[in-house]
Amino acid sequence: MTAPVTAIAWPARGLAASLHRRVHRHLASIALGLVVPLGLLVAWAAAAASGWLPEQILPAPRIVAETLVEMVRSGELAQHAGISGLRVLAGFSLGAGLGLLLGAAMGLSRRVEDTVQPLFTALAQVPTLGWIPLLMLFLGIGETLKIVVIAKAALVPVTLNTASGIRAIPEGYREVARAYRFTRVQTLRRLILPASVPPVFTGIRYGLTKAWTALVAVELLASAEGLGYLLVWGRQMFWLDTMIVAMALIGLVGVAMDAGLARIEARLQLWRIDAR
Amino acid sequence: MPDSRIEIARVAKDFSVDGRPLRALDGIDLTVAPGEFVTIVGASGCGKSTLLRIVAGLDPAHDGEVRHDGRPVTGPSLQRGIVFQEPRLFPWLTVAGNIGLGLENAPLSAAERARLVAEHVALVGLSGFENAYPRQLSGGMAQRAAIARGLVNRPGLLLLDEPFGALDALTRARLQDELQRICAHEGITALLVTHDVDEALLLGDRVVVMAPRPGRIAEILDVSASKPRDRRDPVLAALRHAILDRLEATQAAQPQTATAREAGRRPAATLPLAARSA
Repeated sequence: MTAPVTAIAWPARGLAASLHRRVHRHLASIALGLVVPLGLLVAWAAAAASGWLPEQILPAPRIVAETLVEMVRSGELAQHAGISGLRVLAGFSLGAGLGLLLGAAMGLSRRVEDTVQPLFTALAQVPTLGWIPLLMLFLGIGETLKIVVIAKAALVPVTLNTASGIRAIPEGYREVARAYRFTRVQTLRRLILPASVPPVFTGIRYGLTKAWTALVAVELLASAEGLGYLLVWGRQMFWLDTMIVAMALIGLVGVAMDAGLARIEARLQLWRIDAR
Repeated sequence: MPDSRIEIARVAKDFSVDGRPLRALDGIDLTVAPGEFVTIVGASGCGKSTLLRIVAGLDPAHDGEVRHDGRPVTGPSLQRGIVFQEPRLFPWLTVAGNIGLGLENAPLSAAERARLVAEHVALVGLSGFENAYPRQLSGGMAQRAAIARGLVNRPGLLLLDEPFGALDALTRARLQDELQRICAHEGITALLVTHDVDEALLLGDRVVVMAPRPGRIAEILDVSASKPRDRRDPVLAALRHAILDRLEATQAAQPQTATAREAGRRPAATLPLAARSA
């Protein structure tokens, strides 16, 4: 009992020091994440300043920034972003919700998995874009189409990760549950739910990325509003600055959503927070 | 409560290997008296863990039956605690939470549960680590927690499947001594499977030597040395030679006779023990 004690004496020794170290590491990782984007920005500014490409094709960062300010001020950007956000929210909630249910059913029941898996895999192979023509015929080009396409995009990774995450729970843990005569509900609550948090969140984060990408795709094809529409419109009008603003915003919103989910995930897994 | 009797009668089990049935256990007869500590030793592949899993009710026997205090074993029971080779602690629960898993289906109030958990944390020497998570524990500490989880229901029988096999030699020796102390303190019946002859002798009132293919009992030795035992006891040393000889014989006898034995072999009788009173 003597040797291992040091391994666990940390709470008393230096919570403050450990917090300090963690904040430090966090800031360092943010700084590292900014190196490449800032480098690109500098390269862009240099390329634009040298006149390497005509201004219509590569507007300077300053012009794009002005466009951004202008679009924010007029409320145009907020309007497009708001519409896109609502679409993603609706489609993603629907797709992820169904994906969780379907994935859980597949993970928990071999019979459901055997019934659903082959068709599901086949359907999942068809890219989201490939579904749009058929869905357009069924659903028209209104909001329903957009929400269904986004939902489908989110559904696939959420389902697959949930199902395989539940399947991957070690047999040894299941035996512990069996040895103590856990009921199905107890097994679900005590073992399956906590054990499947990491893979389910991987699926959800991936699903959100997919949903966001699908949004842009479906707005490119069939919309008169939204960030994807802004991209098409910018291209058709040859407003490269508008396009770049829309692209940057799409990317930033994606990063923000992913970071938000990562936060929730960490909250749910306090037991492994400083294992990383 | 403690002091369960286990009767294993004509237990056999087949595994399917490449579509053909392979006899893993054949004609196992063994009775464990209330309060007795029986250890089962054998080379890997002799079916000793399979036998333990059948007694636990985790796997069914194909033939014969196991009775626990007269009632046939048909599945796991809270009256039979089990400790696996790996601790199998749930990483998202603290030490206390993991030990409490054993009480999930015990008809107790929250206060009684908490009291039992605290008592067993102390019993295995983990006081102060109730709120530690498994990843913060050393291998020995994790296995202590697993033993506490196996005992927290106060089962009549404790089953241990190579519980110290993955630990370093020093930790293993320390935990063996602790287990001796705990089992004497609780007056519990215990069945421990191991491939470590010294461990089998240190802990067992009787040592069951198993032979492989098909898994069967080759010999049962009484260990008369009083408990708690010292691993340097010369009585144990003499028995050690007898067991090692026996294990070697079962290995050596194997290749040429394996096929001839396969069909309808009867259980080996319990041999009179040679080295009993050294």
